[in-house]
Formats: sequence, structure tokens, C-alpha cells
Amino acid sequence: MDVSLFAVAFNGVSLASILLLAAVGLSVTFGLMGIINMAHGEFIMIGAYTAYVVQGLLLKSIGDVYYFVALIASFFVAAAFGLVLEQLVIKRLYGRETDSLLATWGVSLVMQQLARSIFGAPNVNVVAPSFLNGGITLLGATISFKRLFIIALVGVTLFFVWALFYRTRYGRRMRACIQNREMAQCLGIRSDRIDSTTFALGSGLAGIAGCALTLLGSIGPSLGQNYIVDTFMVVVLGGVGKIIGAVAGAFIIGLSSTGLEFLTTASIAKAAVLFLVILFLQKKPQGLFVIRSRSLD
Amino acid sequence: MIDIRHLDACYGESRVLNDVSLSVGDGEIVALVGRNGVGKTTTLKSIMGLVKTPAGSIKLGDTELIELEPYERARLGIGYVPQGRDIFPQMTVEENLMLGLEARTEESTDLDAVLNDLYELFPIVKKFLPRKGGDLSGGQQQQLAIARALISEPRLLILDEPTEGIQPSIIQEIGAAIKKINKTRGISILIVEQYLDFVLSISEKYYVMDKGQIVMDGLVSEADPAAIQAKMMVS
Repeated sequence: MDVSLFAVAFNGVSLASILLLAAVGLSVTFGLMGIINMAHGEFIMIGAYTAYVVQGLLLKSIGDVYYFVALIASFFVAAAFGLVLEQLVIKRLYGRETDSLLATWGVSLVMQQLARSIFGAPNVNVVAPSFLNGGITLLGATISFKRLFIIALVGVTLFFVWALFYRTRYGRRMRACIQNREMAQCLGIRSDRIDSTTFALGSGLAGIAGCALTLLGSIGPSLGQNYIVDTFMVVVLGGVGKIIGAVAGAFIIGLSSTGLEFLTTASIAKAAVLFLVILFLQKKPQGLFVIRSRSLD
Repeated sequence: MIDIRHLDACYGESRVLNDVSLSVGDGEIVALVGRNGVGKTTTLKSIMGLVKTPAGSIKLGDTELIELEPYERARLGIGYVPQGRDIFPQMTVEENLMLGLEARTEESTDLDAVLNDLYELFPIVKKFLPRKGGDLSGGQQQQLAIARALISEPRLLILDEPTEGIQPSIIQEIGAAIKKINKTRGISILIVEQYLDFVLSISEKYYVMDKGQIVMDGLVSEADPAAIQAKMMVS
């Protein structure tokens, strides 16, 4: 029993790390702009397909190294799509939660169909770099290198995000806009620029999550949809606009999902996690970590 | 310094300011007084570009501001200390202060000298640099907010009820600081205030507002405080 518990915990952490990467962007854009972005999952999908395309172009010529190119490319491609979406749609919806939800849901459907038209409806596979095949056996459970790699990748990425948010001038401006947009503007901060760059950054992070997901299975146009609900639960549970909230939320959702799945079945686990989140929100509607912000009052 | 002519301002459909004209000369301290809800704060928000101003003109020096975004106005040299201070509560005092630099356009001046000046003016700010802005008392936040506005070396400082909710001894300190800023650096200052004795003791010119209009104005040296007080009574 101990042995399988360890395996479950490891898988939970692995799931949590992917959710975390996707949730940071969602949490910050909601905190900053009051936008509920239903199309966020599609940036995961874009990142995954970017990895697929890069693999097609580079696997033959440079071998396993292609994956690192793909990681960087998936960030930038997803960020570029994010920037375009922000300029065309999101910009016009600031502070209008319900409208933004409907509009971005529409965008999400369009993007899925676009992927279907370009890459076809069936799932495609990305070949994982050979050095990530295999794993080690620890306490009787198999720890795959792929999952270990993803956890490390998320750790490194989050460190960069943290440094960006808390140690740079851009991060200071962004946090100022989250806490009090009007005052930030009165101090000379161009909040519209902060919005665009932050939205692009969040989209790029989701892209990296997508690229990481290609290691774990085949990818399809609806890849993002499978993760968007869990990602939203992470944000709602953790509280909006803070990295630490997303971390806590991701671990709770990731561990409880895999834990409950182990004890029951996949679909019952999903329902149970949702139920637990609803119960929790009855007690603390603002999530674990509350940020005081006028735009969210 | 700043010249406002025939300004109207609206919140949605309702007009809050009606044909307001006022001006602050170079190096002047000007008081804008009046009862609650007559449009004083709206006047300041109009200067910053935070409310809709469908008619009128706001000139800073020779530059027309009326079409500009708030961040552009800040960068042109307007330091704004709003009612309630609006310190970023989750950020440290130091970060709050550094955010004031966003509006700084002239990199030529020595930042260390500016900082030393500010620390001398408001020792409390230096003492509490690593603390969270939200943990400071009202008076401390007020001093931090003024310091944050001054760090970008603005030409015009706008203060919205700097004495609100602050204990008397601190009010005297803030009053002295405001006078000193004006004397030593020649910064023009526009103050909205309810505390009449305080504001008349530091300003040179005054305007009285009622129902979105200027109803009385003049030099403080020639003013009759009782007459101003009468204008501020609920009629």
C-alpha cells in the first residue's frame, strides 16, 4: 500500500506541475484585467502543436535537441497568438467578466476548428527525446524521466516567472496595475502595455505547458479543453493574481485528483474534486490567498 | 503653471462640474475648498484624466492636457496624491516609492540626492522601507504618498484632503513639509481640503466650490475666513 501511495503522490505532483504552468497565466490575466479567458486552454494546444511542427522540421537534422527548440518555440508562438488575441478581442472587454467569458469561448471554438483544419481531427504524436525514455524505480514505484523532467521544467520556468514578477521593473508595474490600476496610471504607468505583455506572457506559459504535455501522450485539437476546467479550479481555489495561490491550488487539485482516481474511478474522481472545490468556496469564496484589488471588488 | 478654463466633467450621464475655471501660478500654493460632494475631488481627477471632460481646457504650461491619458499627464510633471492615499498595500514602502519613478522623465538629475531630500523631509519613509505599504498608519501612508509623488520631481503637486483621518501632530508635520517643498523647490501645489484653518494657513490663493461651480475666489491675505466658512455651510 505504501508503495502505490508513493506512485500516486508522484503522479499527483506531476499533474499539479502542468496545471500550475497553465494556471499562472490565467490567474494573472484575471487578476490584472478581469478577463475570464476560456481560450486559455487553446494556448496549451498551440504549444503542443508547435512542438509537433518543430519535431517535423528538426528531428531528422538535430535529433533530440529539437525538444529544447520546441520548448522555446512553443512559448513564443503561443505568446504571439496571445498578443494578437489581446489586441483584437480582449482589449475591448476589460472588466466585463461575463462578456469576456462568452467571447473567449467563441475564440476557443474557432481555434480548435482551425487546428482541426490544419492538422486534421485525429490525434498526432510527438516523439519524446530518447534520453527521457525509461525511469528509475524508487520504493517500488516507477518514476519516469519524462515526468521528472516536466516537474523540473516547471520549477525552472516558475523561478523565472517569480523573478520577473518580484525582481524587475516590469513586475513592479504589473503588480501595481493589479492592486490599483487607476493609481498606477496616475504614476505614469502605461497600463495598456502591461496588459498586452502580461497576456502574451500568460499565453506563452500555457504554450510551454502544452509542449510538456506532448511527452505524456498524443495531442489533438481538443487537448486544451481537457485541462481548462482543472486549470480554472486551480485559479479559483488558490485565489486570483498571486503565484503562491496558483502553486497551492495546483498541488491540491493535482494530488486530490490522482488520489481520488486511485481510490475510485476517473469520472468519480473528477466529480468529487469539483464537489470539494465547491464546498471549499462556500467557506472562502475568494480562494486561499486573497489579493486586495479594486478592479475585482 | 496650470490653467483650467470652462471645464465640464461627467460621471456617466450626470454632469458634476459646470464651467469651472481655476489656475495655479508658478510656485503658488492654491487651496480648493467646499462641502462634501461639490466636485473638488472631481476637479482633481479631471486634471489627471480620470473622469470624462467633454468641454473645456486644461493647460499645463503651454501643453493642452484634455485629450491626454493619465500616464502622459503624470509624465508631463503632475504628481498626484489622491484621497485615501492609494498606497499599494501588498508592496513594500520601497517599491511604492520606486513606482513614483515611472513618471520621471529627466534622468539627468541625481536620484540619490532626490532620495536623501525625501528621507530628510519624511524620515518615517526611510525607517519603514522594507515594510508592507498596507501596514502603515494613515499619517505614514500620507507621507509615503507625498514622497512617491515627489520622487519624479513634478512641476505641480496635487493633494486631495491630506489631513483626512490623520492625528493633529502629524497634520502639522505634513503642513510644514508642504510649505518646505514649495519654498525650496518651487513646486506649485493645488490642495483640496475641508480643514479650512489648516489649508488657509499654508496657501496663497483660494477657490470655494459649490454644486460643481466656483462660487468665490481670491487671495488668502485678503480673505475673510468667516465668509468662506459661510459658503461651506449647508444652505
